[in-house]
Amino acid sequence: MLIVGGGPAGLAAAYRLATRHRGPGGDPPVVAVLEKSREAGAHMLSGAVLDPSALTDLMPDWRSRGAPVEVPVTEDRIYFLTERRRIPFPVTPPPLRNHGNYVISLNRLVRWLAGQVEAAGVDIFAGFAGAELLYEGDRVVGVRTGDRGIDREGNRKATFEPGVDIRAQVTVLADGVRGNLTKSLVERFRLDGGRLPQVYAVGIKELWDVPAGRLPAGAVIHTLGYPLPHEQFGGGFLYALPDGALSVGFVAGLDYRDPGFDPHSAFQRFKRHPLVAGLLAGGEMVRYGAKALPEGGWHAIPRCHVDGALIVGDAAGFLNSMRLKGIHLAMQSGIAAADAALDALEAWDTSAERLARYAALVESGPIRRELHPVRNVHQAFAGGLLPGLLYSGLSLVTGGWWIRDPMPAHPGHQRMQHVRGERSAAPDAVPVDRRLTFDKLTNVHYSGTRHDEDQPSHLLVQDTDVCRTRCREEYGNPCTRFCPAAVYEMVDARGGGKRLQINASNCVHCKTCDIMDPYQIIDWVPPEGGGGPRYEGM
Amino acid sequence: MPMPSSDRAPVLVIAEQRAGNLNPVTWETVAAAQALGGAVAVAVAGTGIAGAAAELAAADVAEVLVLEDPALESYTPDGHIAALASLVEQERPGLVLFPHTYQTRDYAPALANRLGGVLIPDCVGAEVRDAGLVLLRPMFQGKFVAEVAPAGPGPHCISFQIGAWRADAAARGGAAATRTVPVSVDGSTIRQRPEAPFQEAKQAVDLTQAERIVAVGRGIKGQEHLPLVQELARALGAEVAASRPICDSGWLPMDRQIGSSGQTVSPKLYVALGISGAIQHLVGMKGSRTIVAVNKDADAPIFEVADYGIVGDLFEVVPALVAALGE
Ligand SMILES: Cc1cc2nc3c(=O)[nH]c(=O)nc-3n(C[C@H](O)[C@H](O)[C@H](O)COP(=O)(O)OP(=O)(O)OC[C@H]3O[C@@H](n4cnc5c(N)ncnc54)[C@H](O)[C@@H]3O)c2cc1C
Ligand SMILES: Cc1cc2nc3c(=O)[nH]c(=O)nc-3n(C[C@H](O)[C@H](O)[C@H](O)COP(=O)(O)OP(=O)(O)OC[C@H]3O[C@@H](n4cnc5c(N)ncnc54)[C@H](O)[C@@H]3O)c2cc1C
Ligand code: SF4
Repeated sequence: MLIVGGGPAGLAAAYRLATRHRGPGGDPPVVAVLEKSREAGAHMLSGAVLDPSALTDLMPDWRSRGAPVEVPVTEDRIYFLTERRRIPFPVTPPPLRNHGNYVISLNRLVRWLAGQVEAAGVDIFAGFAGAELLYEGDRVVGVRTGDRGIDREGNRKATFEPGVDIRAQVTVLADGVRGNLTKSLVERFRLDGGRLPQVYAVGIKELWDVPAGRLPAGAVIHTLGYPLPHEQFGGGFLYALPDGALSVGFVAGLDYRDPGFDPHSAFQRFKRHPLVAGLLAGGEMVRYGAKALPEGGWHAIPRCHVDGALIVGDAAGFLNSMRLKGIHLAMQSGIAAADAALDALEAWDTSAERLARYAALVESGPIRRELHPVRNVHQAFAGGLLPGLLYSGLSLVTGGWWIRDPMPAHPGHQRMQHVRGERSAAPDAVPVDRRLTFDKLTNVHYSGTRHDEDQPSHLLVQDTDVCRTRCREEYGNPCTRFCPAAVYEMVDARGGGKRLQINASNCVHCKTCDIMDPYQIIDWVPPEGGGGPRYEGM
Repeated sequence: MPMPSSDRAPVLVIAEQRAGNLNPVTWETVAAAQALGGAVAVAVAGTGIAGAAAELAAADVAEVLVLEDPALESYTPDGHIAALASLVEQERPGLVLFPHTYQTRDYAPALANRLGGVLIPDCVGAEVRDAGLVLLRPMFQGKFVAEVAPAGPGPHCISFQIGAWRADAAARGGAAATRTVPVSVDGSTIRQRPEAPFQEAKQAVDLTQAERIVAVGRGIKGQEHLPLVQELARALGAEVAASRPICDSGWLPMDRQIGSSGQTVSPKLYVALGISGAIQHLVGMKGSRTIVAVNKDADAPIFEVADYGIVGDLFEVVPALVAALGE
């Protein structure tokens, strides 16, 4: 059994396989996990408010095993923001209530879970990325890892080590949102046929140390409204951890129309709002990062089983966008995949028909129970979940937080409009003071991102001519704005004009460019294993 | 697979020597060969190798084979392959073992190919099991160990990672017979001409030791303007360094990059020309004693760490500085 991706989904599958099951002959199945980050959990970035239900299903005694899940949600507020003001929602709509949940750092949770998984006898190969799937005919038979030690011209360095083929009876793809292996599998077999297109958002987050007394540990705040215009999807969050640690983040839908929109600037603007600025004043930003999340919900989930492989977690799109929660569903899907895979191993039949049991488990289990009722969020709200008090504000709200209306029928990148006239509608640049607000490069420094600089770019742009010709005119090179790590720059070309410069080593692996590029010519592939951000406490 | 049978010693160790001095890792490979059981022969090739052969004869092995030929005076892959191929054809061992040195990496793949066998390189262990010989090879940077069984008729070439066996585990105490094996290598078939042994190239510049550094950033606009910077560096007796975009474009070599993914320096004088002062650059130079910055943007963060800041166009400021220094 091979699992690609050591996030909550992959590790839940690994743990389930190693602890609950005996393979044919009574021995535990041999399970390996491939993870591109150098240390387990280092590419984890989340909110995060954890619904502990799946962790309890996986490991009922997580408390006594010392899981870093310690801070129950104590208060739960939602505000609608205007530029200067905040309007509290007097009642938190039930789907957004967080009673019984915990404020956590997903980094820490995953690092701890990786320890549990290894203790259960699973090998975790951190620092190794799955570069491509191996097939025999149409059957997935494993994964090829990336080569190491190639220089930027593509030559082998003295440290060259070719990738390795890892073969497995069942390969579980847990490569997260817009995972490169899942993307190739879905394309090859058109697994998304007949489904709504997946839509995404990008979350940008900082971890702050703030003076004592600002927010009690366990406080959870969500915002809608400012700085986004009505029709744009997104919102902010503030989650308080103990000892003055505060997670501050902003989620922006990757289906915005204005090519001048810059999610990083929106996040800076959000921090300048009096509500947020007041909480952060005198504090210090200690970490930064960004990551996309799937928002399409139940109808956008592709078929997740093929001959020899299963797709779990964010890679498949198991995320409840209304609650901004995916960790527990990722784990539930990992558990279901483990059960289905073992059933298939025992039957000596890992065909798609047999592995379809995974789909049945998803249908009959907690995942559908949670996702199906909110498959069309608008209806759920119209069904009376929103207190009448909010009704007057509904026109504002429908464009706002975690509420998509109507469900998009086109991939987000297709909604981007051409630049009109001289400049886009984007407001002026946010002042950067390097105390409250930061430029992208300074922020990236706080993501701990590192790549061996002497390697080929892992951002494959099929045709950079488009960048300096069509895209420049039609969209004004939106990649220079939507990338939260300043990877893409248009610089002066030698003979006049502009050319695209790719600072690949800045990349925080958020996948926004792969999703939002209007021409869909950017392909994110894994860089040399071990490269990328080094998140801590995120 | 049963241990390969042969009328001579089934296991042949290839010793490594340079200028008659035995490379001590050879003993590790002798230890590996002994651990496999069966008779072991050790071969040493070169010129002036009597001493090395005598040293090897102290090992508890069946024989020491000596291959002397003028064409083997300095190491060349072609010479080595020709001599050893001829040896293996005469002796017909089942296994040929090497220490996994740079030299082995250089010629052993081609030798194995010439012998019609395979090379299983960089092993960390070997076990003889009921089913035959199993070699252990690390994968995934040592996180995994693969078991590899050689198949086919052989001879199988195997190299062992340095340190996989202990040199002092090699049993000694024998007085092995030394035998000269006639090989003749046709010098004209050797395509390589040996040069003086490779010395680790010293880094062309050691910026960390420089007393003065003139660093240039994207404000320089194009590679063609670099001489301007070099002129100032010459006038100051300084080394030239750069921010990442300059090295990234190949305008200056990567070892001249200052910053978090380049060098960290703390010279007495650091002159930053057309560098904005991104944090990744600052962490590499903010320990400098005196920092002078030239930038046309008064808000550039480089001025936050600069002792002397000149807000201006470097294409005007630098020539003026050079002229002033010339006086
Ligand atoms: C800003 C933000 C806030 C969020 N807030 C919450 C919240 O409050 N509560 C909640 O429950 N959920 C929240 N989520 C969602 C939650 O984080 C995800 O749903 C969850 O992490 C999904 O888990 P996963 O294991 O499927 O994927 P991931 O957590 O993305 O893990 C995938 C792993 O696979 C690795 N990987 C990817 N490709 C490869 C490859 N080719 N080879 C090897 N390894 C690879 C990655 O490095 C990563 O470690 C939030 C998400 C974001 C972005
Ligand atoms: C993970 C990571 C690692 C990195 N590692 C490094 C590193 O090791 N080293 C490094 O340097 N960077 C590194 N960077 C890149 C860094 O963030 C900046 O992008 C880079 O330092 C900018 O270089 P620059 O100052 O030359 O260019 P720019 O930021 O483009 O600045 C050019 C400056 O020149 C000025 N200028 C323009 N014309 C003139 C003129 N005629 N006269 C005077 N001034 C002029 C402009 O005002 C501007 O301030 C790294 C980034 C990341 C994310
Ligand atoms: S290059 Fe793409 S994946 Fe990397 S940080 Fe930028 S938008 Fe995200």
